[in-house]
Amino acid sequence: MEPGSTEIFWSRATEFFSLQYDFALYALLAAVLVGVICGLVGTFMVLRGMSLVGDAAGHATLPGVAIAFLLTGTKSAPALLLGALISAVLGAMTITWISRGPRVRADAAIGIVLSTFFGLGIVLLSYIQTSPTGQQAGLSEYLFGNAAAVTPAQIGVVALAGALLVVLVGVFYRPLSLMVFDERFAQSLGLPTHWLELGLMSALAMAVVLSIQAVGVILVAAMLIIPPSAARFLSKKLSGVMMASVAMGGVSGALGAMFSYVYEGVATGPAMVLVAVFFFSLALVFGPVGGAVPRALRRRHARRSALLRGSR
Amino acid sequence: MSFFMEPWQWGDWMWRGMLTLNLVAITCAVLGVFLYLRRMSLIADALAHVALPGIVMAFLVTGSLDGALMLGGAALVGLFTAVAIEWISRQPSVRSDAAIGVVFTALFALGVILLSTRVRDAHIDTHCLLYGDVLGVSDRALSLVAWSTPVVLGLVAIFYRWLAVSSFDARFALAMGVPVAALNYGLMSAVTVTAVAGFEAVGAVLVIALIIVPAATAHLLARSLKAMLAISIGHGILASWAGMYLAIGLNISAAGAVVVAGGALYALAFLFAPEHGRFWRWRRRSLATAGQRQPLSPSG
Repeated sequence: MEPGSTEIFWSRATEFFSLQYDFALYALLAAVLVGVICGLVGTFMVLRGMSLVGDAAGHATLPGVAIAFLLTGTKSAPALLLGALISAVLGAMTITWISRGPRVRADAAIGIVLSTFFGLGIVLLSYIQTSPTGQQAGLSEYLFGNAAAVTPAQIGVVALAGALLVVLVGVFYRPLSLMVFDERFAQSLGLPTHWLELGLMSALAMAVVLSIQAVGVILVAAMLIIPPSAARFLSKKLSGVMMASVAMGGVSGALGAMFSYVYEGVATGPAMVLVAVFFFSLALVFGPVGGAVPRALRRRHARRSALLRGSR
Repeated sequence: MSFFMEPWQWGDWMWRGMLTLNLVAITCAVLGVFLYLRRMSLIADALAHVALPGIVMAFLVTGSLDGALMLGGAALVGLFTAVAIEWISRQPSVRSDAAIGVVFTALFALGVILLSTRVRDAHIDTHCLLYGDVLGVSDRALSLVAWSTPVVLGLVAIFYRWLAVSSFDARFALAMGVPVAALNYGLMSAVTVTAVAGFEAVGAVLVIALIIVPAATAHLLARSLKAMLAISIGHGILASWAGMYLAIGLNISAAGAVVVAGGALYALAFLFAPEHGRFWRWRRRSLATAGQRQPLSPSG
């Protein structure tokens, strides 16, 4: 469609949300579910200062996908997803393992795992491409995602896994919140922080794997980082940040899917990310917790009251 | 022996690829040490990703795929990225790692959308940008690397003392009158120029690996900054040669093989570094506990 023609935009947008076309419905469901799941899991990663572990876990899925393809010789989705999950968990655990000791910086550990796993994946894929039996396993789609190609069965799996994640976060809410804000204190209370860590990393890997179909490996990091980062400007409490992040993730998913339906050639993943970025910039300026405008107002108020006190 | 000599006789792509790879590896290894010491390794990840939107935007503005223009566009976007990350991470509710994640993914998403809607007919090869093509280095890529390497290394040599002081203790450097902020942006620009110049030849992922992994390996082995720089450069060169021959022998992706070789070198240092290797520490500990247990044993 032509840019600028608002009428066409609104008619296409209402057409999308009227849900009369199955593929639009599936894309919408997939995008919203991805936004919600990433918003939930990403909250814990961002609050723990481990935002970019999701980026590494996303890149770390590649060797798992390639090995699953080599072993089964088919592009069957369950096998590839299982391979992706295993290698994402391995990648995330390698990061925690190597960054624990002295002489290793956490940020470098993330970069080492990210690049080495992805390099290994590229090596395996190039081997698959040259070997006589193999053919390219849809690499482009894997890197950038394609929400419109998600099937109802896959949406069912994502919804089930998402529900499981929500229940698990609900059950372990207390220990998780203690660990997020003060890991040493949680340890001193005798909480099994190693297991919680493993659980969080597995949840992260699961969120990544469930999302790559719709948004691709590179942009899954964006949905894990941007909504929670925006939500930190809205609340000081874990529950508040979590709910705001989930809401923003879901709405970004819905609007992103709509934009990719309305504008030809716009993929769902990047559209979702840009909507989330819009929310983030609003939060940066107007967010009640540390947003630029509220801060300026508070400063002005403080100066005024100080002046008034001084004149008295 | 013929295995090592033969590829050089197959055509000039071998020496071109090797030359480019080694020059990029040396520059990345040097810059990587300073980034590592400043705990800014992941900025390299961000800068490597924003080269895609940089190139797309340069194409949209100038309408050409000329090498110098695209390099300029990508470098501008890289500098913008560095400034944006720093500004956002200064906000009270954002940590620096989240700021990195927000900025580079946002720009990358923008780049993908612009690429798919505005410049669909231009021949911008995303695969090549991400994985590079070590064995098919173009004249343009080779010349970009050939002039950017001496410039970047020369600048590092000139500002060596300032870089060293500010990497270890930024506050002390500031107190001494070193222009820390300007130095920081200079370092970021050098990383972006190196990433973009090396990009076409070796790809985004390889650039990250060549910046982060050598410095991390060197930190496990070295006791001084000079030794760290030397080991980092050695790691980069060794990984390049090992990876290249691995790629030729097994007929696999050269960029991927170099990354894997570098990762393997890091793993060796992680386990067997003389002082900090995990294997030795584990042995020392198990020997110590065995020594403690002996007097308690009933036979003794």
